[in-house]
Amino acid sequence: MEAIQSIPLEQIDLLDETFSVNFMPDLQRLRSSIEEIGLIQPVLLKRKSNGYQIISGFRRISVVRELGKLEIESRVFEEKETDEFRLFSLCLHENLTTRGFNAVEKAIALDKLIDRFQIDPPVVIKNFLPSLALEPNEKILNTYLSLARMEDDMKQYVLREGVSRSNIRRLSVLTSDDRRAFLSLASPLKLGENRLREILTFLEEISRRNRWRARDIVGQPEIQVILSQEELTPSQKTDRIKRVLMNLRYPKIHRLEEEFERKKKDLNLPSKVLLHHHPFFEGKGLRVEFQFETMEEYRGILSTLSRLVDKEEFEEFIQSVSY
Amino acid sequence: MQFEKIYLDEKAERDSISKTILKALPNVPMETIQDKRSLIKQFSSMSDPIGIGKRILLITHFYGRRLKPCPGTSNHICCGYYVINGITNCPMDCSYCVLQGYLNNPFLTLYTNWDDLLQEIDAFLSTDRQSLLRLGTGELSDSLALEPIFPLSQFLIPFFSEKRNGVLELKTKSVNVGSLLDLDHRGKTVVSWSVNPPKMIEEEEKGTVLLKDRIDAARKCQEKGYLLGFHFDPIIYHEGWEREYEEAILQLFKQIDPGRVVWISLGGFRYPPKLKAIAEERFPRTNVFLGELFPGRDGKFRYLKEIRVEIYQKMTRWLREVDPGLFVYLCMESKEVWEKVFGWTPENSRHLNQMFEKRVRGFLKE
Repeated sequence: MEAIQSIPLEQIDLLDETFSVNFMPDLQRLRSSIEEIGLIQPVLLKRKSNGYQIISGFRRISVVRELGKLEIESRVFEEKETDEFRLFSLCLHENLTTRGFNAVEKAIALDKLIDRFQIDPPVVIKNFLPSLALEPNEKILNTYLSLARMEDDMKQYVLREGVSRSNIRRLSVLTSDDRRAFLSLASPLKLGENRLREILTFLEEISRRNRWRARDIVGQPEIQVILSQEELTPSQKTDRIKRVLMNLRYPKIHRLEEEFERKKKDLNLPSKVLLHHHPFFEGKGLRVEFQFETMEEYRGILSTLSRLVDKEEFEEFIQSVSY
Repeated sequence: MQFEKIYLDEKAERDSISKTILKALPNVPMETIQDKRSLIKQFSSMSDPIGIGKRILLITHFYGRRLKPCPGTSNHICCGYYVINGITNCPMDCSYCVLQGYLNNPFLTLYTNWDDLLQEIDAFLSTDRQSLLRLGTGELSDSLALEPIFPLSQFLIPFFSEKRNGVLELKTKSVNVGSLLDLDHRGKTVVSWSVNPPKMIEEEEKGTVLLKDRIDAARKCQEKGYLLGFHFDPIIYHEGWEREYEEAILQLFKQIDPGRVVWISLGGFRYPPKLKAIAEERFPRTNVFLGELFPGRDGKFRYLKEIRVEIYQKMTRWLREVDPGLFVYLCMESKEVWEKVFGWTPENSRHLNQMFEKRVRGFLKE
């Protein structure tokens, strides 16, 4: 490696991303720093026949270029000086000791190690996962590899929402088209980790039960209507979509709930009288709950309840929940 | 059954059973250990300790009670069974197996202090000489899984043949009955099989044998005068389940004499909450959790009651078409479900236990 030298930016190949692991870099802080005190650390380049390849310093070169400079301080490796894997390791270590990586960048780094530099997965698990502050096991490696192979808009969603590894794994079982459909569903909603897990689990289980594709589920008219209702808040949309998915996932209990609600409605009970079935219709019978503030109200409720005795539909209702 | 390693606890080193096993597995690497707890801890932190543990045999001693009432479940009717835990864990790998989330020792573990266990059983039976007690080894393992390397039956069957008030059940999904066939069981051992249709076995019961082979093994035991039991448990409700289960019943009774079947249990798939995450991690393609399962009064997830009743009514009808005299019972079910399926319900678990007793005594008189 040669001593530090100034290399004209026009001779650096910005399109060669062999060693790049950047994803959604936040350049603002770096820009401010370079503007204020200049470049602290030279970038690493490798000489090639018609210019230079970037090993480490993609973000710095981008900022320096934006600032209108024509050259950048660099350390240069000769073309055959060292092998590509060693250079990539240098790039990883340099970044790790300075800025660190976000989840997608870790994924890209691991994917490059295995796919481009042909490092055996057990070696990657043992030597590289701990450097990236990840537990050294196959499951973690596979999670990050699956993330590396997702679409860019999905990767952006993962970073923006801080999606957990377990939810990344759930996303990874979807096809690329299904993930796009999922994004059209998830982006307008406010999904925390738990809601995201629930929605992804529903999508997966409904797909497998009904042999539907996730995009067919997302495309259901009921879901699309909810998404298009501008008067609803993201949280209200989430609740309603979750309800639709739950009904698709559990059709029999949905039918029982609907029948129960219909029969309850037919009784025309006052709003302060509530009828409940056992959780999940497991036990027999009904539970009545009522609320009152005055003696008069109390008398009225008792009178309504006592009149139920003469209603045929009430008897049928009792029988139906005593299944 | 392929073991990759044997860990021999130095406390079990001198036991004759340990020697028998080591002789049966001469090519499996063996390591003597002093502290099984640190070994268990070491393996438990690996990825898929359950899968790894099935290929490793731990030979050790057990201190404490190994004969216990079947844990059954709360708020449901249970049958008053007792479990003998001489072996824990199982080399088979069923996707729905509750042991995946139940045992804190991942190894297939054989406890060699058998004399203590037999004494414990003896003492237990002597406390209640009036009742006819049912005991089985199939709760925390498959009763016959280790027969090729350690014929457990050689200890237990002769032991129970001399007991007036105890009946042993050996419950299995294997064909390992060779060592049983020439034993003098005197009708005091019931050999039973878990039954599922071939498609379910192929998809969800990895490492077990085909249905036709289970039936064939049962027929061999029947020919040697053993009483038989069958457990349709877990029944997995899915598209096409009716045809598959009805065919399995017909296939079973083509070879098996219903007159020699002492009991048949029916149990819809059910699971404790933590099992789903563990099983789905180990079996990403399993379909068992895709049913409409909800938490019940005991916290376990079960099919919606309407589904369970449909399953049990149809299964009972198909079984009764084979022989109306078959003794069919529901495992861990509510009174409501019993009533809906049979038109009556045992008053409580004790009542069901008495029915079992009557049923078994009927066979013993023959």
